[in-house]
Amino acid sequence: MFDAIVGFLYQFGDASAFLVLCASGLAIIFGMMGVINLAHGEFIMAGAYMTVTVAKLGAPLPLAIVCGALFAGLIGILLERFVIRHLYGRPLDTIVATWGISLIASQGTLILLGPSLADISTPLGSVQIGSLSYSVYRFVLMATAAAILAGLYLLFNFTRFGVLARATIQVPHMAEALGVNTRFIYSLTFGIGAALAGATGGLYAPTMTLVPTMGAQFITEAFVTVVTGGGDVFVGTAPAGVILGFIRAAMTTWEGQLAGQIGLLIAVIIVIRVLPRGISGLILRERT
Amino acid sequence: MALLETRKLNKRFGGLQVTADVDFVLEPGELHCLIGPNGAGKSTLFRLILGEYQPTSGQIFYDGSDITQLESHDRIRRGISVKFQVPGIFKALSVSQNLEIALQHHLEGLGLREEIERHLDFLNLTADAGQLAGNLSHGQKQWLEIGMATSLRPKLLLLDEPTAGMSPEETHATGEMVRALQTDGMTVLAVEHDMNFVRQIATRVTVLHFGKIFAQGSIDEIMADDRVAEIYLGHGHGAHHA
Amino acid sequence: MGRRSFFLRLASRLEGPQTLGRGWRFWVGAAVVLALASAYPLVTDSYTVGNTVYFFNWVFMALGLCVIWGYGGALSFGQTAFFGIAGYAYGVITLNWGADYGLTLWATLAAVALSAIVAAVLGYFLFFGRISGVFLGIVTLAVTLVLERFMAQTAGPEWHIGAARLNGFNGMNGMPNLTVPWPGDNDPLVLAPDLPLYYFVLALLVIIYLALRILVNSSFGNVLVAIRENSERATMLGYDVRKYQLAAFVIGSSLAGLSGVLYTTWGQYITPSSMGITAAALPIVWVAVGGRSDLTATLLGTILLIGGFQALTVYGSQYALVVMGLLLVVTVLLAPEGLILALAYLPQRVFRRGARDPA
Repeated sequence: MFDAIVGFLYQFGDASAFLVLCASGLAIIFGMMGVINLAHGEFIMAGAYMTVTVAKLGAPLPLAIVCGALFAGLIGILLERFVIRHLYGRPLDTIVATWGISLIASQGTLILLGPSLADISTPLGSVQIGSLSYSVYRFVLMATAAAILAGLYLLFNFTRFGVLARATIQVPHMAEALGVNTRFIYSLTFGIGAALAGATGGLYAPTMTLVPTMGAQFITEAFVTVVTGGGDVFVGTAPAGVILGFIRAAMTTWEGQLAGQIGLLIAVIIVIRVLPRGISGLILRERT
Repeated sequence: MALLETRKLNKRFGGLQVTADVDFVLEPGELHCLIGPNGAGKSTLFRLILGEYQPTSGQIFYDGSDITQLESHDRIRRGISVKFQVPGIFKALSVSQNLEIALQHHLEGLGLREEIERHLDFLNLTADAGQLAGNLSHGQKQWLEIGMATSLRPKLLLLDEPTAGMSPEETHATGEMVRALQTDGMTVLAVEHDMNFVRQIATRVTVLHFGKIFAQGSIDEIMADDRVAEIYLGHGHGAHHA
Repeated sequence: MGRRSFFLRLASRLEGPQTLGRGWRFWVGAAVVLALASAYPLVTDSYTVGNTVYFFNWVFMALGLCVIWGYGGALSFGQTAFFGIAGYAYGVITLNWGADYGLTLWATLAAVALSAIVAAVLGYFLFFGRISGVFLGIVTLAVTLVLERFMAQTAGPEWHIGAARLNGFNGMNGMPNLTVPWPGDNDPLVLAPDLPLYYFVLALLVIIYLALRILVNSSFGNVLVAIRENSERATMLGYDVRKYQLAAFVIGSSLAGLSGVLYTTWGQYITPSSMGITAAALPIVWVAVGGRSDLTATLLGTILLIGGFQALTVYGSQYALVVMGLLLVVTVLLAPEGLILALAYLPQRVFRRGARDPA
């Protein structure tokens, strides 16, 4: 009984952390800029690949993950500058364009780096709770997810950049009139979203096999979380991650992996129908 | 019997009361203007009548029936038509196609073609029939939209700032157009800021303020009302707006 | 001043504001192309003929998406879902009841009808729930992926409908080709992927292309593009936008179903990967790059693109996909109306510069 509860909580925390981490980057970009980034999975892949490469050169894992995040962030800034910038206000076109980029990135990596990259093993071993053992690293991931959320909150609400970013995104011409370099803000915000994706890739790299198409595993979950959560990262994505994590854990415990995935997808269909602007739409509306 | 009547119509957006207890009555054949400072709730009232917004409470009656629960397109089919503030035409389609889409409701074939011609003539757009509607001048776009709105032969025509962005000549021409429509039997409810236009066309005027009906009467009565002047001047918004 | 006959009125709608290509030059050109297409298989080998049928099969799905997205303005990622539903339905029906007495044709109709019904239900949920834009795309993508994942895990023998096992990843195979019962003959005409199937599909293509031209130039088509351009205004002209969008969705999805059946009979198999995420992207690519707002552009674009990719896949499918990705990005940035359409407008832009600058 104890084992079952702990086991479920572990699944729940693990699933929620996964959803929050892989969705946060997407949520920043979608929630703040209205851009649908279907190349999100490839940013995750880029972060993972860079992390593993750096780690294999001898760097400690945390540093390698930071490198992975920065690498992905840089690519994000370039992408924004050359492609996304021209597509603001055209959401369907950004879907098509970012899908194209996703294809170029994943298949291009396949061509250049081959079908897989030698992976690194999961650090920190396991710990015994009750009669089952759990991976310590997964607990680290849960803590990291919470830390990242906290960090983002501080960034967007208490730093100058954060306030400027929110102003620019909400009323761009006003911000420009006040002398804000809006182009730079857009680039940087997109870069942060990409860096978060890269960080997710780096964090999960020790737990998965590294293939160029690994992004595909993250993207559906990320989208489901963002759509359920709505536009706001804190009031939306975070609770969505937790709720969906719960659903996923419950269904996986009962029925297995596949049911968990299908359950998520069905959940998003229902949520869109009932809460067209996601959880944040519901909460923000009630607040005012 | 009143053509349009709202009873205790209320609309809140979150904590903001945009329409407050409005009991508005519109008699058939009126040329009625809605005026008031910005944010008074004029456009919201339109959208409530059209069904784009659902009222928080209250009812709307049209031609004797309760239309509060009716979908927008059903209200249009019953004889309400609207011309928006920002020209709501199909910019990427040609002028004649714009009219065709409006008219194909109740016409087809040869009759449809003739009616399109007639409208083009009335709106002075015959020369531009094949042009993309988005290429028209601002005034022409407004007229095209009025043309489309009236082509539905509505009993009630809602005009949201029909002369916004127009020159004085265009404004005057629009006024003449609207008066001609009224003699055809149409009832017109217009939101306007341009007092010259209001004076040109209005039989009655209602002043909205903070979502409530503040004053009603003929244009002369309203212009003479000190309280009305106060709500305009007090908010730094001139009563004469070109 | 009597009313023109029904057929004359239909024919007059073959041309109109919503389709490129008008005048006798266009139609003569089209007739020439058709003649070439009809004569071509008589001079090439059986493999090429079968391969060309493979190309044609996909065009219906592309045309369907063209109607939903290009004309209606709704981006649906669900085309491959309906492709799969109809393909599997055909398999289930024919594997259970065989191919006699023209059953394969009835199976085709039933499979497409099933797609239409599912589309109607899903579409009702979507459009009457006022879901649009990005969220429409997401929900249709989610539906497609759910279907794919579900079908992929149907590997065990307990997963079957009658005599037809669903077979998980490996998919269903062994279903019969289309057969047309020939009157007064004991042997029905088997439409194997060779000359007979070629002409059958070509004829279907011509009929559907012409029918769609008439549809989009009719008053229905007018309202559809009106909704695409300004759906609020369309509502305020008294049109129930939801019904029109639903109709377009059902039509487009049924065409995807038709593609699914034809594909299944062509290769005699259907697998869940036809509904996977890469497969779901393909119709979007063809239609976006070809020219989504025009039927002819989509038709030509799809055939050219599929042919092009097949040629590229010889070098490795990853190269083909990279090129596909590049095409998508380039199209969106430089020619968002579609490459074929951009080419079609090029002479206008070059020779009549300044005559009509968009406001």
